[in-house]
Amino acid sequence: MADQSIISNARFIYVHDNHKFSPPHAVDSHHIIVRRSVVKPIVVYLFAILLVAYAAFLHFEKGKPVTTVIWTFFFGAVLVKFFIWRPIVKESVIIMPEFGVQLETHYGSGRINRCFIPVSKILKSVLNEHVTPVTCCWCLSLLIRDENELTLVFKKSRPPLKMLVPIWKALCAATDCKESFEFQEDVLVRGLY
Amino acid sequence: MVFGSMVRKKPITLSKSTPTHYVNPNWLQRISDISVDRAAQLVVDLHPFRSSEVMEFKEGRHRILMVSDFFYPNFGGVENHIYLLSQCLLKLGHKVVVMTHAYANRSGVRYMTNGLKVYYVPWKPFLMQNTLPTFYGTLPIIRTILIREKISLVHGHQAFSTLCHEALMHARTMGYKVIFTDHSLYGFSDIGSIHMNKVLQFTLADVSQAICVSHTSKENTVLRSGLPPEKVFVIPNAVDTTMFKPAPERLSMDPIVIVVISRLVYRKGADLLVEVIPEVCHLYPNVRFIIGGDGPKRVRLEEMREKHSLQDRVDMLGAVPHAKVRSVLNSGHIFLNSSLTEAFCIAILEAASCGLLTVSTHVGGVPEVLPDDMIVLAKPDPNDMVDAIKKAIRILPRIDPQEMHLRMKEMYSWHDVAKRTEIVYDRALRCSNQTLLERLPRYLTCGAWAGKLFCLVMTIDFILWRLLQLWQPDSEVEPVPDFKRTELKRG
Repeated sequence: MADQSIISNARFIYVHDNHKFSPPHAVDSHHIIVRRSVVKPIVVYLFAILLVAYAAFLHFEKGKPVTTVIWTFFFGAVLVKFFIWRPIVKESVIIMPEFGVQLETHYGSGRINRCFIPVSKILKSVLNEHVTPVTCCWCLSLLIRDENELTLVFKKSRPPLKMLVPIWKALCAATDCKESFEFQEDVLVRGLY
Repeated sequence: MVFGSMVRKKPITLSKSTPTHYVNPNWLQRISDISVDRAAQLVVDLHPFRSSEVMEFKEGRHRILMVSDFFYPNFGGVENHIYLLSQCLLKLGHKVVVMTHAYANRSGVRYMTNGLKVYYVPWKPFLMQNTLPTFYGTLPIIRTILIREKISLVHGHQAFSTLCHEALMHARTMGYKVIFTDHSLYGFSDIGSIHMNKVLQFTLADVSQAICVSHTSKENTVLRSGLPPEKVFVIPNAVDTTMFKPAPERLSMDPIVIVVISRLVYRKGADLLVEVIPEVCHLYPNVRFIIGGDGPKRVRLEEMREKHSLQDRVDMLGAVPHAKVRSVLNSGHIFLNSSLTEAFCIAILEAASCGLLTVSTHVGGVPEVLPDDMIVLAKPDPNDMVDAIKKAIRILPRIDPQEMHLRMKEMYSWHDVAKRTEIVYDRALRCSNQTLLERLPRYLTCGAWAGKLFCLVMTIDFILWRLLQLWQPDSEVEPVPDFKRTELKRG
C-alpha cells in the first residue's frame, strides 16, 4: 500500500511514496527525477553537426587544415556533454523515522551512491537560499552534529521550492523537531529583538 | 554619520542591539565562525506553507530593491542612509530588499532587523569597494532577484557605485521604475569626473525620478547629468537623535574643547586644520582640540603638533569607531568641520544633536543643514575660520545643549525622510510604461557619439534579456514567500 503524490515541472518530477508497513513504522521515500527535455538535444545536436559540416566544408573546399575539423568535433562534443548529458537521473531521500535518513543518487551509468545519516546526528533540516554570481535558488540541507559544513540533500539537482517543502516537512517531523516548530517561532521572536 | 573617520582592520560586527539573522549564505556551503549549536539557532524559518500567516500585502505598499556597492559591514554615510531609510520604510509597511556585493567572507542572503533582506551577491569588489563593471554580467542575477522578490521599483544609491548603475540599466530594460539618489558633489574638470559624469548621464537619461540630499546637490546633479530639474526631489538626510544625545551634565567652560571628527584627507580640509589650530591655540590659552579620525593627512597634523609644541593641547585619537563617536562629541563644546566640499554633511547634524555649536566652512550644502543660530560659517580660508572660531567662543555661553538637541529632534527624523521618499515612489510608479523604441531617443541626447553608443548598449541589453527569457522563462523563477514579522514580545 503505497500512497503516491506527484508534482512536476519542466525540469523535475517529484514523486512521494509513503509506504506504510506494520504499525508504527512508516518509511517515507521522496524522489526527484530529472526530466529529459526534447527540444534542447535536437537543437544542440543540430548546431554541433552544422559546425562540423562547416569545418569540413572549409577543409575540403577552402583548403583549411584538418585540425579545424578535429577541433570543431571536440567543441561539438563539449557542447553535447554540457547541455545534454545528464549524469544524474534521480535523487532520492528515504526517511526512516527514529532511525535515520538515506540519501541516494542514481547516475545515468547505473551507479547508485547511497549515504546514510543516523537520526541522532541530524540537528536540523533547513531550506537555504543559495546565491551564485548568476542566480539564486533554494536548497534543502541538513545540519549535522560535529560538522562545519551543511550536507546538501540533493547534490546536483535544484528542484523548485514547492517540491522541497514537503520533503523538508517530512524531515523535520522525522528528526523529531515537533518542538522545533515552537522553537522556530521562539527563535523568530527573539531574533527580531 | 561621520564620514569615513573609521579605518577598520576587520569587518564591523553589528552591536548587540541590531542582531543579524542569517541563513547559511555562502554558495560554497560553509558555515564560518560559528559553532554548530549556534548554527541550529540561527536559522530563519520562513513557513512557506502557512500562507494564511504570511504578511498580507496592502494596497499602496511598495516592494523596493535598494542597490548600492556601499552597505554594511562597511561604515559610511551612504551605508547608514540606506539602512536607516530601509528600516523606516519597513515600519511604514513596505517591503525592502537590499542588494550589494559580497564582503570578505560575507556572501549570500542575510536578514537584518525587522526582516530587512540583504543579498550579498558574490561579485567581489575590484576598486574602492566597487564591483567590476562588466556591463551585462549582472543581468541574470538582477533579473532573478527582481522576479523572485516581486519588486515594484528599484532605488539605486551613489553615483560612484558601478553595481548601482548596472542595476538601474537592467531594471529599466526589464521595464521596472527606477529611482536614483545622489549623495555627493562631484567636479567637472578632471578626467575621473568627466567619465563619471558621462556614466551618470547614461543612467539618468531614463530614470523615473531622482533624489538629492540638498538643493546644492540638486544643482550639481542636474548640471552634471542634464536631467530636467522637475524630475529631481530634494530630501535631506537625517540623524538618529536617540543615539546622539548631549551629556546629562553640562561641561564646564574651562577649558573650551573643540572637536574635529573626520577622515584626514584633502577633501575634508585637513590642510586648513593645520593652519587654523596653532593660531587658535595661540589666541586662546584655554582652548583644547580633540581630533578623531585617520587618513593620509594625519602626518601633517602630527608635525604641526610637534612644531608648535601643542601635545598637551591637541589630542589625536586616531580612528574612532562609530559607537564611540557620541562619547567623543559629548566631551566637547564646539564642533569644527573644515570640508572643502560637502553635499550635506551628516557630521554636523550629529554634533548639533549632541548639543555642540558648529563652526564649518561655507561649502556645498552645508548652509542648508542647520539654522543660523546653531552654526557659524566661514570661507575655506584659515583667517576666516579663525574669526569664525572667535565668534563661536563668544556666543558659546548662550548655547543650551539640551535645547539644541530638542530642536534637532523636531527638525530631523528618518521617519520623515521615509515618508517623503514614499511620495517620490508613488510619483515614480505613476510614470508611464514605455517600450524600448520610445526610450531610445532619450539616450541620443547624451552626446553626438555617446548617444549612439548608449543606444547600442541598451539595445544589446534588451536582446540579452530576451535571450535570457527564452533560456529561463519568468515563470520558472519561483517567488519567495514573504518574511513573517512577529510582534515583539517584551517581558
